[in-house]
Amino acid sequence: MIATLVVMTALAQADAGELAPPSSLASELDAALGAQLPDAGSSVAPAPTPTNAVWRAIQSLNPDLAAIVDADFGGASGAPYSLAGDDPDLLGDSEGQPFGFALQEIEVALTATVDPFLRAELYLAIPNLSGIEVEEAVVTTTSLPAGLQLRAGIFRSAFGRQNGQHLHVQDFTRRPLVNEAFLGADGLRAPGLQASWLAPTPFFLQLSLEAFSIGAPEDDAGHLLSFGGGTRADLTYASELKFFVPVSDAFSIYGGLNGALGKTPTLRPGAPVTLEAVDLYLKYKPPNVSGGWFSVAWQSEVFVRQLHARDDTEPLLLDGGFYTQLVVQFARQWQAGARVDLLGAPSNELQPRVGRQSLALTFMPSEFARLRAYVERENIPPPTASFLSGPETWAGYLQLEVSIGAHGAHLF
Amino acid sequence: MRKANDMKRIVVLLAAVLSTAALADEPLHVVTTIETFADLARRVGGDKVQVETLSHGYQDPHFVEARPNLMVTLHQADLLVRVGMDLEIGWLPPLVNGSRNDRVQRGQAGDLDCSQFIDPLDVPTAKVDRSQGDIHPMGNPHYWLPPVNAVRIAKGISGRLAQLRPADKAYFDAQLQKFVAELKARAPQWEAQARKLSGVKVVTYHKSWSYVTRWLNLDEQGYIENRPGIAPSPDHLATLIALMKEQKVAKVIVEDFYNRSIADMVAEKAGARVVAAPSDVGARPAIKSYLDLVDALLTELNK
Repeated sequence: MIATLVVMTALAQADAGELAPPSSLASELDAALGAQLPDAGSSVAPAPTPTNAVWRAIQSLNPDLAAIVDADFGGASGAPYSLAGDDPDLLGDSEGQPFGFALQEIEVALTATVDPFLRAELYLAIPNLSGIEVEEAVVTTTSLPAGLQLRAGIFRSAFGRQNGQHLHVQDFTRRPLVNEAFLGADGLRAPGLQASWLAPTPFFLQLSLEAFSIGAPEDDAGHLLSFGGGTRADLTYASELKFFVPVSDAFSIYGGLNGALGKTPTLRPGAPVTLEAVDLYLKYKPPNVSGGWFSVAWQSEVFVRQLHARDDTEPLLLDGGFYTQLVVQFARQWQAGARVDLLGAPSNELQPRVGRQSLALTFMPSEFARLRAYVERENIPPPTASFLSGPETWAGYLQLEVSIGAHGAHLF
Repeated sequence: MRKANDMKRIVVLLAAVLSTAALADEPLHVVTTIETFADLARRVGGDKVQVETLSHGYQDPHFVEARPNLMVTLHQADLLVRVGMDLEIGWLPPLVNGSRNDRVQRGQAGDLDCSQFIDPLDVPTAKVDRSQGDIHPMGNPHYWLPPVNAVRIAKGISGRLAQLRPADKAYFDAQLQKFVAELKARAPQWEAQARKLSGVKVVTYHKSWSYVTRWLNLDEQGYIENRPGIAPSPDHLATLIALMKEQKVAKVIVEDFYNRSIADMVAEKAGARVVAAPSDVGARPAIKSYLDLVDALLTELNK
């Protein structure tokens, strides 16, 4: 009916021919077509009002600046088995039962384009108020041919999935156990060089090769460390093959095969250690959010490590570990996650069995703030019993995370 | 000797002709961030371009997943056509970085920010901060719906294509003229539909209809999402409903991709009607072009 009316109106107008006033929209379109456009060679928008102070601020050549603060309140029935560098440390150097507040991490990020060929990122972190650490200071090429890219400086290795991620993109308050156990308290990050290649395939396939100089650990970790032994001349090498399969608009498979080679600083200092890992990330997220902001993501990483514990002639000792987690966003502002961790699978003298089960419930009032309730149970299962058995430690945290400054982008 | 030189010259000439011919035949690979731009690029680029889009019309363009396959799409691009004004800030930068394609890096000839072609609305004149929500400090980026802006964007794309392929400039110009002629043919019909909307009081979900309300002379009375990107509070909704009753607001405009439940509730309580409006090509299967989009939008608004 309406369509008929519309057509009739249009026909009536067409019939009226010369008598009708010329369409003002048509003449506006002609004017738009004839208008002088801004310099077609420029790729950025011109100032709407060149004297506008807001515009001048936007146009400064300062790097994009952002800061992220993670503050926690929590308690535990005993000390945790291990702490990653950016886990909340309720005890500090003290003994006893952890309880109270912690400033888990402050991160300051400065990012900018250096010139037509390079981009630079600087991330300074203060974990648990323990002094400034350079989390990353890395220069990346932007214009190498043939899908090649070089990164130099100090940076997080692309090894696995969570290692490359900063704290604020984690879905749980604490990093998985495999991070500290296999990659070190701060993860695999050190001064180094990365060369990577985006394969000319119709799907995403990327190969990275990395070399790092990892310093010796300051404290005794109390267990085997993979890397950082030998002399300063002993480099740690890593390589990662990442692939992505967009099964449908909503369903994605992202995975990686990872290998690293270095020298251990513990147990038998200087002995070569090899580390392999497989990571897999499956995500279902309908692209149209009117479906209710629903998404579900399943992420897992499995690590295996080999070492000649006493001398090069004895058989290789093997240990491993994994975590698997499921995170469901069930409303615009809410997501919930569950994770199971296990170290020492297989277990041996290198690595005892340690288990952890954790739950997280996250409330996101805006894109720039998060409040998370996190509960975990750690247990030391006896070698022959179920992975859930053994002496247990409970811990709970409330984590507040805010981000200010430049609008960050979300990596997949 | 002379003959050998001639032969050499001919071979060089032939090689040059063949290579230019091969280059000229190869369509320019254009990647756009939204589907409307893809349609405009296809219109002005004709068979000299091959166009792909990073997001779809049924998606919220603020929240596109930066899936790595999009890096592969961008890796092959000769030209990236984007909305700018920070609309894509949450997902495009890592894709451009990961594309390892220097042609589409910021500031290169293969990077086209179309916001330079339009007169921006809602540009803050004082310092803004995020207490006002996830605001766009450079102005409102939802500018591609009014036909005047579509012509400006199409002209901008045509200009950039001509810059990348100077030999085809006349072709791109002709394509642009053809596109504008098509729009002009629809203009009387659109104007008739627009006339009925002039002065109609509306509330919109997100503050993303400024360009449309100005074009159609709609009277924007308020927003369900009063602070962009932040879920509205019950207090705000109560105030809004009261205002809508008092002002006799007739329509609540919601993009197809937003959850309608809040809009439905507000409209019902205020005695208004929800208009689920497409805001991009591809928002619905039947909307395959910019012309379809304007047709569908005006039809929905007039319902």
